[in-house]
Parts: sequence; C-alpha cells; structure tokens
Amino acid sequence: MAFVLEAKNLSKNYQEKQALKPLNLQLQPGEIYSLLGPNGAGKSTTINLFLGFIEPTGGMALINNLEVAKHPVEIKKHLAYIPEQVVLYPNLSGFENLSLLSSLAGFDYRADTLNDFLIRSGLPSEAINKRTGAYSKGMRQKVGIAAALAKRAKVLLLDEPTSGLDPKASNEFSELLLQLSAEGTAVFMATHDIFRAREVSSRIGIMKAGELVHELSSGELDAYELEKLYLNYMHD
Amino acid sequence: MIKTLAQKELVSARRDKRFVLLGAIIVLLLAVAAVSGVVSYNQLSAERNLAQHAADHDFKSQPSRHPHRMAHYGSYAFRPKSSLSFFDFGLDTYTGTMVYLEAHQQNSANFSAVQQSGGLLRFGEMTVAFVLQWLIPLLIIFLTFNTFTQEKEQETLKVLLSQGLTVAQIANAKLQGYAKALSLIILPALLVASLFLLLANGLSIDAGFLLRLLLFLTAYLVYFFIFLAGSILISALNQHSRSALLLLLGIWITACVIMPKVTANLGSLLYQTPSKAEMDATVHHAASHGMNGHDPQDKRTAAFTKALLAKYKVDSVSQLPVNVDGLVMAEGEAYSSKVYAQEFDKLANTYHQQSNVSEWAGLLNPYLAIRYTSMALAGTDAAHYVHFLKAAEDYRYRLAQHLNHLQATKLKYHDKETRLDNSHWKNYPAFSYREPSVGWALGSHLVSVVALLLWGGLLYFFFTRLITRYFTL
Repeated sequence: MAFVLEAKNLSKNYQEKQALKPLNLQLQPGEIYSLLGPNGAGKSTTINLFLGFIEPTGGMALINNLEVAKHPVEIKKHLAYIPEQVVLYPNLSGFENLSLLSSLAGFDYRADTLNDFLIRSGLPSEAINKRTGAYSKGMRQKVGIAAALAKRAKVLLLDEPTSGLDPKASNEFSELLLQLSAEGTAVFMATHDIFRAREVSSRIGIMKAGELVHELSSGELDAYELEKLYLNYMHD
Repeated sequence: MIKTLAQKELVSARRDKRFVLLGAIIVLLLAVAAVSGVVSYNQLSAERNLAQHAADHDFKSQPSRHPHRMAHYGSYAFRPKSSLSFFDFGLDTYTGTMVYLEAHQQNSANFSAVQQSGGLLRFGEMTVAFVLQWLIPLLIIFLTFNTFTQEKEQETLKVLLSQGLTVAQIANAKLQGYAKALSLIILPALLVASLFLLLANGLSIDAGFLLRLLLFLTAYLVYFFIFLAGSILISALNQHSRSALLLLLGIWITACVIMPKVTANLGSLLYQTPSKAEMDATVHHAASHGMNGHDPQDKRTAAFTKALLAKYKVDSVSQLPVNVDGLVMAEGEAYSSKVYAQEFDKLANTYHQQSNVSEWAGLLNPYLAIRYTSMALAGTDAAHYVHFLKAAEDYRYRLAQHLNHLQATKLKYHDKETRLDNSHWKNYPAFSYREPSVGWALGSHLVSVVALLLWGGLLYFFFTRLITRYFTL
C-alpha cells in the first residue's frame, strides 16, 4: 500500500547538535501516529522537516511520494498543519479566516460550504462570524481543523494539539481526529499527552534526544503501562 | 493567491486600531497643514502682489525727474510665491522675499518669514511636506514593523506557508495590502490638498504647474514605497517584533533627524560662505580697484573717456555728442555688475557645494533625496531662490542702464537740473518673475532625483529576492 507520509533516514543537525538522528517512518492513509517525547526531543523538528520549513541534513521526507525538499510547494497541497498555538488572524472572523486559508490553498467554496466545515469541526454557529481575537484555544483549533477539512488534505500534521485544552475540548478534538482518520486522512501528531495519544492513535513513537527509541501500536499497552514505559525511557 | 492575501492584509489593517488611530491623526495633521498652508499661501501671495503693484505704481507715478534721481529712487522686486510652495515651504521661510533695486547697488533679499515672526518658527512649521516626509514613514513603520515577525512569533506564517505559498508571495501580498491600506489615508489627503491648491490658484491650471504637481505626487509615492518595502523587508529578516521596531525607529531617527543635521553642518564646515559685509567689501574693493587689483576705477574712467574722445575725434568731453556722465555711469554699472555677478556666482557655487554634501548623502538616505526633490518641485529650494535673485539683479541692471542711457542721450554734460518727462519710466516694463521650468528645477537636483529613483528601483528589484535569500522562520 502507498504511504502518504514517509521518512527515509531523515536527519537534521544544527552545527554540532544532532536534532534528529536518522528516522525511518511510514504512514498509510487513515493512520494516526503520535510522537511522544519531552521538550527538545526532536518532535517539532520532525514536523518542520515534513513541512519543508527546514532542510534535512540527511535522508528525505516524503509526502504523498513527493520529496519535500524538492517539491516544497507542491507537497503542501496534500497536507494541513495545525501548530500548538493556533493563532488565526484576530481581526478576521472564523469564517473569514477559513475563507482566506481555503482560498490560499486554491479552493473557492461557497459561503454555506465554508459554514458547514466550521459546524462540522465543532465551532458553535454563533461564533462563526465573530472575530477570532475573542476565541478560546479550542475554538481556534476547530477553525484549524475546518481549514484541514476544506483543504481535503491527505496528511494532517499537528504540533502539541491538545496542550492547553480543557478535557471537554480535548475530547471533542479527539473525536474529530477519529472522524478524519475514518475518512482516510493520515494524522501525524507530536504530543506530550500520553492518554490522548493512547486513545486516538494507531501507532505511537517515543522520541528522546532526536532519536525514535521505541515504537508500538496503541493496542499493545494500556495508558498506565504506556506512561510507565515513557517514563522509563525518560529516566534512562 | 497574492490578491487574496493582499485583501486580507488590507482588511486586517483597516480593522487594526493602530491603523485607524494613526491614520486619523495623519489625516488630521495633513488637513491642518493643508489649511494653514493655503491660508499662508493666499496671505503671502496677496501681500506680495499688493506690495509689487504698490512699488510699481510708486515708480511709474514719479513726476518728471532727472534720470539719475530715478535710478536712486529705485524700485522693488518681490518674490512671488510658487504655487506648490503651499505643500513644501522649503527654504522660503528663511530666505528674503524682497530686493530693493537701485543704481550701483546690489542689495540682498530681505524680510524672510523668520525675520518677521517669533522665534518659535525656527523650530519648524507644520507643512504638508513635514507630514509626508516625517510622519507617514513613522505611520508605515508602526503599521508594518511586525507584519512578518508577529506571524513568526504566533506561527501563523507557518500556517500560510503550509497552504502552499512561498515567502516571496507572502511578502508581495503584504506589500500590496499595506500599499492599499496606506492609499486609503494618503490618496484622499493628497487629493484634498491638491484641490486646496487649485482653489488657491483660482482653479487656473497650466501644463507646467500640472507637471510639477504630478511629479511631486509621484516622487512621494516612490518615497513611501521605499519606506514600505524597507519596513516589510526588515520585518521579514528579523525574528522578533521588538528588534524589528527598534531597528526601524533607529533608521528613521538617523535618516530623518541625525543625518540631515550632520550633512548640513558638514557642508557648512567644508564650504564656508562669506558674510554679507565681507561680500560687499569684496565687491566694492574689486569695483574700485579693478577685478585684477591693478585697474582702479579712476584709471578705467580715464581710459574710457580717452577712448570716447578718440572715437568721436574731439578734444574735450563737452564737445561730445553724448553726455559722458551717463556713459561713465553705464560703464561703471556694467563693471560693478560684472564684479557682483562673479562674486555672486562664487557664493551660489558655495551654497551649491554645501547642499551637494546633503544631496550626495541622499544616495544613502532617501529622506534627503525626497527633501531636495520636493523643494525643487515646490520651487522653494536654494536654486529657485538664486534664480529669483539673478532675475531681480538682471532687472535692476537693465533698469539702471535704461536710466543711464536716458542721461547719456537726453541730457548734456554736467546737467543736473533738467528733468525728463515721466513717460520715460511710466512706460518702462515692471518687474515680472517667471518661475523656471520643471526640467530646470529637477536638473538642479539631479543627484537627489537619481538617488530617489535608485532607492525605489533597487528595493523594487531586490525586495522579494532579498527576502527569499535571507528569510528564516
């Protein structure tokens, strides 16, 4: 089966520091992959390499079989990205932000279609036309998800998506990810949230000091055992 | 994509309280500057027209007199206000407005606005040019210093890039969006100011005036583009909003405050001008002792008289068919005017060298380039002032020689009693000053014009190239 996201010996050095040791990874459509690890483990570096924001030192990152470094613009047609702090343009409404992002991605949706994306991502209808400067993090994230839906992205890259979300918002977010996964979207997520990762992921990777030290499928361990395993690596 | 993003920048800017507040302040200041400019322009134009007419009337109304009395009665040349001086007062506030025209004497221009006002005027005036040259760049800086850095800090830039846009496309969209937002403030203000200007001119438009106005507006659009593209470039190449703001404010202070003063002082230090008394003494000395120092006035007069006697083949001046007094005076006038012109050219050249220091600095500082270009187009620079002084001196010389000619041809030798009919000066054309062409005006400040275009061109050409080359997330 074709992979929609793939790392082949992908590595990144910053001068003397090895931020990412050679990484090999493949994601199939509909898979949700969570990368666990402490701050500075290389999770965000990995995401930035898939986004083409930084050049790899070695190996290659591929999105939909296209090498990211060689096709930095084209690969972005296939992916959507939601950073840790989804800061939308505060002077624009949720609707206007979505309209802007989907236009920039090359889509020309009608207003009711855009509204549907926002409603589907869980944004309350009364918030749609309010400026996003007044939105909570959860609401901004929902607009981010709506943008991913509107983009019909094959891959969704998420950087610490549940940090700062209350349990209800976090739960709603997990449900959205599962829906997207069911529709065939592959999700690659860097997170500290062991329990949420265990709940939604197909596979989980543990990263430490730039190296993927352990990989498992989520069914192998329960949340408590996963936490124990994670902490063991961190204390080594 | 660029159009969509530019539209977003425009909408965001319009909804930005900083933009609304600063824009309102700028529009208000432009309105105040435009109104005070038109009031001042109307008042000064009316005063000078009235004074010129009164002076002409006085001269023409003189009764029958000895022509040499008329030569010393003299007249006045008032410098008319240039139409565009309404926008940029330039040096007008500091330069004299009136020259007393009399025989044998080249007077300097007197009665500048500064001489006639309180000391506060020396601190600068609120003019349209002040708002355009100083405050709009500040508005641009405050609007755009964080246009990239904020997106980096808040990671919205990553979201934009992840939509498939390149940094160059985002930079171009920002340039277009902010240009549109700024035009919402600047264009109506400039159009209203231009309307005031047309009203002040009684709605009379000639091609020269229209060309100056269009070039004036174009020059400022280039200047704003330089600040806009420069600010966005600096925001793109910085990682933090604070450092971008500090850098931009540092550039603004250096460009608009420090460098103009430094270059002006450097110019004065390198090329010193003589005082009025020194120059008068030099002219007087050269006129009486000869320009080469070995040809005194009495020897020149004796030689001239001798040549005259030889020409008419007579033995004494009383036998001459012309009045030697008038001819000697005409000769003396010609000689002293030649001396004065030579010294004045030296002085004008020194002024030119002084301002050259600042003008060449315009290659490093677009503020200096627009300052000289603006004054040139407004007709309020040193070159226009010197042009007026030369026109006044030319008129003075022709008037004095006309009266000397009357004395030489209508009166007898040593006749100090006969009075000539006043039709001789009643019909003499009054002083009328024609502003030089726009080509001449810009030619006087070619370095500044080139510097402005060079800045604009280089930024236009390298804007996206530099951002693409040096941008880091």
